[in-house]
Amino acid sequence: MQAESLNDTDWDIVIAGTGLYQSLLALALSRSDKKVLHLDKNSYYGEAEAAFSLQEAEEWVKEQNNSSASIENLSPSEEDGPKLSFPRAYSLALAPQLIYTSSKLIECLVTSKAFRQLEFQAMGSWWLYSASKDSEPDSSGTPAEASGNLVRIPTNREDVAFSDSTIDLRSKRSVMKVLRFIMDYDNQEELWEGYKERPFAEFLTNHFKLPPTLVDLFLALTFSPTCSSQTTTAFALPRISRHLRSIGRLGPGFSSVIPKWGGLAEVSQVGCRAGAVGGAVYMLGSGISKTESIDDSTTLHLTSGDIVRTKHLVANPVSLSSNSSQPSQNSSEGTSRSISIVGSSLPALFPQLTEGAPIPAGAVVIRPAGSFPSETSDPAPVQLIIHSSETGECPKNQCIIYASTPASAPAGPSLLDAAVNALLACIDNPPVLWRMHYPFVPARIPSDAGDGVHLFPAGMSADLVFDDTILDRVETIWRALVGDTNAAFLVFEDREGQAEDEEDEYL
Amino acid sequence: MADASQGSAPKPSSSVKLVLLGEAAVGKSSLVMRFVNNDFQENKEPTIGAAFLTQKCPLPTRTIKFEIWDTAGQERFASLAPMYYRNASAALVVYDITKPSSLTKAQHWVAELQRQASPGIVIALVGNKLDLATPSTSPEGADEAAEDENDDDEADARKVPTKTAKAYADEDGLLFFETSAKTGENVAEVFTAIANAIPETQLKGTRGSAAARAQEESRVNLSAGRDTMGAKEGCAC
Repeated sequence: MQAESLNDTDWDIVIAGTGLYQSLLALALSRSDKKVLHLDKNSYYGEAEAAFSLQEAEEWVKEQNNSSASIENLSPSEEDGPKLSFPRAYSLALAPQLIYTSSKLIECLVTSKAFRQLEFQAMGSWWLYSASKDSEPDSSGTPAEASGNLVRIPTNREDVAFSDSTIDLRSKRSVMKVLRFIMDYDNQEELWEGYKERPFAEFLTNHFKLPPTLVDLFLALTFSPTCSSQTTTAFALPRISRHLRSIGRLGPGFSSVIPKWGGLAEVSQVGCRAGAVGGAVYMLGSGISKTESIDDSTTLHLTSGDIVRTKHLVANPVSLSSNSSQPSQNSSEGTSRSISIVGSSLPALFPQLTEGAPIPAGAVVIRPAGSFPSETSDPAPVQLIIHSSETGECPKNQCIIYASTPASAPAGPSLLDAAVNALLACIDNPPVLWRMHYPFVPARIPSDAGDGVHLFPAGMSADLVFDDTILDRVETIWRALVGDTNAAFLVFEDREGQAEDEEDEYL
Repeated sequence: MADASQGSAPKPSSSVKLVLLGEAAVGKSSLVMRFVNNDFQENKEPTIGAAFLTQKCPLPTRTIKFEIWDTAGQERFASLAPMYYRNASAALVVYDITKPSSLTKAQHWVAELQRQASPGIVIALVGNKLDLATPSTSPEGADEAAEDENDDDEADARKVPTKTAKAYADEDGLLFFETSAKTGENVAEVFTAIANAIPETQLKGTRGSAAARAQEESRVNLSAGRDTMGAKEGCAC
């Protein structure tokens, strides 16, 4: 009855690593007759997209040798203030991303039926943080900002009409004009062709005569991980258009969704479970210490001591290395990220979007580059994604702020702290209970690895928006593995007993 | 044996996620097959393709709809994901009464549940393969099994005394049963006992429950307009 041992099986495919790419591949292979062994050298699912309890986060930080990852426990000592809960009450996403409702991922999760094991929630409002220009750095040199404020970014006629006094009547008309244009930008190429490779801000200023404060609103909607001066018109238009066109597709008011319980980590786990249900064997905590290619098979020496043979190996550069940390990198290459647990539910950030809209589980705050008076040569924007306790990532009356900036250490982490503090200063200044800083290394496309070995990038790009080309890469490798060029990718029937519409059947 | 009672006025119905745990080959899937389909397969292959089964369990005042999650083999190398334990209201931790090491493993799974699962989870410890034991050592309701005793092994194959496992279960506050997926003995009883042990307040999906509705309000239906799922969400009355 016991399944045959790992070593005696002729595996068709060994997948190393349970990051999003490999997990989606496992899902894609789950109805094939391939013999699949799926390994991860880590003791958790998700690799660079993992979600961690506080304790797991601490262990992960310790493993990141010679990097600038760190954790501060800032829980205040007062008796009756907000307190950090127990470690497992948290599920913190290492690589949080927004998934636009128009993303191909949504489509694939539905057609593959994987969505039945997932819960998705709506992102809510987008806010632009604007600093008051006259604030001075305090004595310690860190920028002090008492008087910044948040402006809700309008994305439709109602938003514009009901927006507060930050947009005057004449500007409201211009904002509407720009919104209408962007919804239809691909049919009006003649208007923006000349600005293609020029800054988007320049196009808005010159063509629509938008004042700088309103230009910032539209730049924020690009959710660009780079500086506004590098945000070209050709880059910005499709991104804002995607945002606007995504509104209402899965319900009123919202344009993007997030998986509950820790983001993409949850998608990884569901993909791997689908793989297991399809017969794949799962083994966490087992890496590959050596690979040998002989003829058309590859022999893998696992850190568990097993030696397995396979026709194909699918991995990424990190899952193939025996080192447990991220690839050693030039730290100037990485962007900086932080995760802050805040002792307040920050209700002001999560207003109901529109009538009939789901309760928003997240919000976005964009802080444009150059918000700090003391910023010098190389200003960088900060993107903040705030998740409420609805996401299941933290207990009630707390929330999580995921912060990201293209600036690398040492400037990056202090910029993130300043941005989080400035945001909290706008909303009653609740305490930060816990904070983790880590460098985020955007994954690069690996070069071809040779016969029988297929490589994915080791994680996500710096973009905080889910990139649909991930699915294209998964599909390419899936087709190579199954050798079928016509089969539909990630389209499955429900397994027996799994469809929910049997709700009222009597058994 | 656990057929839903039909007719009469509809009782409130709630969905309960139940997870299976236990060493490979102790009969986790067989117990569920017996409960859900009243079926048993000798020498069953390790579980493939059966991820999720549902079965209703009628109680006097309500109906519990079990969503039963199988490990899909991910327990073999301790590779169950957090999503497996998430929102589980009940767990069936199974061992084989002819294999003492499987009880040790079961204790490990109970500890894992206490670490990973929701604090209020109802855990039942189940010693399976009761058909392999001679009835004398099993004081509770083993008479029927004795009548079926046509196994080729004359000797009692039981290696885990009932009282050892029972003492452990009592100590940890677990429900305890010995079952035979093969004969069906005690199988329905396990699920009924679990259904009864789940506190009313824990039930999600209870029609009209405010907590359940609040939970749904942040949920986005991915397949909106794609299939009939939408109708299901809409009729939660």
